Amino acid sequence: MSDSADPVIVFRNITKVYHLLGENVTALLDVSGSVRRGEFIAIMGPSGSGKSTLLNMLGCLDVPDSGEILINGIETTNMSDDELTKLRRDHIGFIFQQFNLIPLLTARENVEYPLLLKTGSADCDDRCLDVLRSVALESHLDHHRPNELSGGQQQRVAIARALVNDPEILLCDEPTGNLDSKTGNAIMELLSRLCTHQNKTVIMVTHDPSLAVYANRTIHIVDGRISGVA
Amino acid sequence: MQQRLFFNLAIRNLRIHWLRSLLAAIGIIIGVVAITSMGILGNGLTLSVSESLSDVGDSIVVSPHVGYYGMGSSPGNSRISERELEQIRRAAGNADVIPVYSGGERIKVGRETGAAVIYGLDPKDIPLMLDKLEGQYIRGSSGVMAGKKLAEEYDLIVGSRVLIGEEETGVRVTGILDERGMGFDINPDYGLVFSDQWYRNYYHEEGYDSVIVKVRDLSHIESTKAAIEAQLNRRETTVDVYDTRAILETILETFGRIATFTMAIGGISLLVAGVSIFNVMMMSVMERYKEIGILRSIGTLRSEVRKIFIYESLLLGLGGSLIGGLLSFIGGYVAILIMLEETRYLFEPSSLVYIPYGMAFGIVTSVVSGLYPAWKASNLNPIEALRHE
Repeated sequence: MSDSADPVIVFRNITKVYHLLGENVTALLDVSGSVRRGEFIAIMGPSGSGKSTLLNMLGCLDVPDSGEILINGIETTNMSDDELTKLRRDHIGFIFQQFNLIPLLTARENVEYPLLLKTGSADCDDRCLDVLRSVALESHLDHHRPNELSGGQQQRVAIARALVNDPEILLCDEPTGNLDSKTGNAIMELLSRLCTHQNKTVIMVTHDPSLAVYANRTIHIVDGRISGVA
Repeated sequence: MQQRLFFNLAIRNLRIHWLRSLLAAIGIIIGVVAITSMGILGNGLTLSVSESLSDVGDSIVVSPHVGYYGMGSSPGNSRISERELEQIRRAAGNADVIPVYSGGERIKVGRETGAAVIYGLDPKDIPLMLDKLEGQYIRGSSGVMAGKKLAEEYDLIVGSRVLIGEEETGVRVTGILDERGMGFDINPDYGLVFSDQWYRNYYHEEGYDSVIVKVRDLSHIESTKAAIEAQLNRRETTVDVYDTRAILETILETFGRIATFTMAIGGISLLVAGVSIFNVMMMSVMERYKEIGILRSIGTLRSEVRKIFIYESLLLGLGGSLIGGLLSFIGGYVAILIMLEETRYLFEPSSLVYIPYGMAFGIVTSVVSGLYPAWKASNLNPIEALRHE
């Protein structure tokens, strides 16, 4: 696998300070690292350690105060909001603890949405159905609204939505946090398969040490610094 | 396709909060109906006034200046002399100059007695000034033409006999004049028009009551008016010179202002509707805080988020304005029925044009009210919005 050595994300010396109630809270301090294509990385650490902040930075939802982040070799630090948004749309898939599906849209429309944003084309049906089948959602659920689906089903739809634009990177924030262990394991299997079979880079924030077994590497963060990589 | 997607999201959100959306749309409906009905009413008012006015706008009326006693006239009875008439003719250039005698007299038709305005005009000038409905224009010095309203009141027809004044001098009606409306020069609708010669023989008077100057080209009206004033009022003011077009314009302008004012009152209700749409849109933004965060995180541009919210207010405005436009027919009908007791002005194009105007105002108000909420939605920090519960 020649491209497995090729870093898909590189972050150097990133620092983020939040100003809360007149106090400066350092969320990340001089954090560096890189992620290779096809890697499964777990980011672990106690609450408030800065792991979600790091994930948001890597997902271009937030920008660091200093330091640089390269996605696919492209420097993102000086990008405009529109450029960052397009980067998220085309290269990064988000999977959240709360599933975060759009309540107004059906399962299928939720999956279709990012594709329509990207292509503007009307014939997305095949692609959407393929992705929904690949996450093993029963086809009769396609036309259900999120509130009519179980947590596991919603998370499958969310994964399908994250995959529909064929991004290189999947960012998962506690993807199994709202699921029972059986469903959670199924979702983890699915993410692991995506990593090994489709060469997706998966970066997952979690509390749960048992999930670390799915990861190639685990980055531990404490008080905004990387305390160890295993 | 993307536009349809954003439109779809807007429609679905309106449908989920249907009661709130309906109330906001009702605000717009009321606003559009108010502004349109008031516009139609104002226009009906202007139309009804201008219809009762003569459409003569090409004349200059020269009358003796109040307080000036010209040559050949006695105090309290000022007139325009032959010499002054000549001066007017010189000043007027190629315009038609029509000297007018006017007064009032008792008349008797059959057994009925009453009073009428009496005019004395040169027979060759009568066709210039007045349109004939029936019969013949006056030739020579005999005969009289009756105004339409007077003819209707006294059942005058061509050939009727009218007795004039104390001496009951008899004259025969040769023609009936067409209705002219209220004018600023002469008002023969309730009057009798004689030849100037008959008038002079009857009253034995020197000098004219007024002189009407009809310009051939409307653009010359100002310069002609100025020339007459320069000729006659050089040393002292001997005549007053009115431009009928200016008078007409002043009156119509006044009514136009009244119409604008009534519309502005209607506009206030539209403003209130705008505030309610603003409120609804702000609520929508607040409620959908998290959804906006999701949309942004999965790659929706700020401009696209703005579109979703602007479409929402546009839809409210479109729906409200369409229904409001239809209801405006009823609103306008009722308004002019009550105020003018006449509904035909509703179907005049100048009235109907207020319906698209009102609708456009409704749509613009909604969209403008949605701008700030849309801007606010698009500028939310996606991370904070995602954290929002």
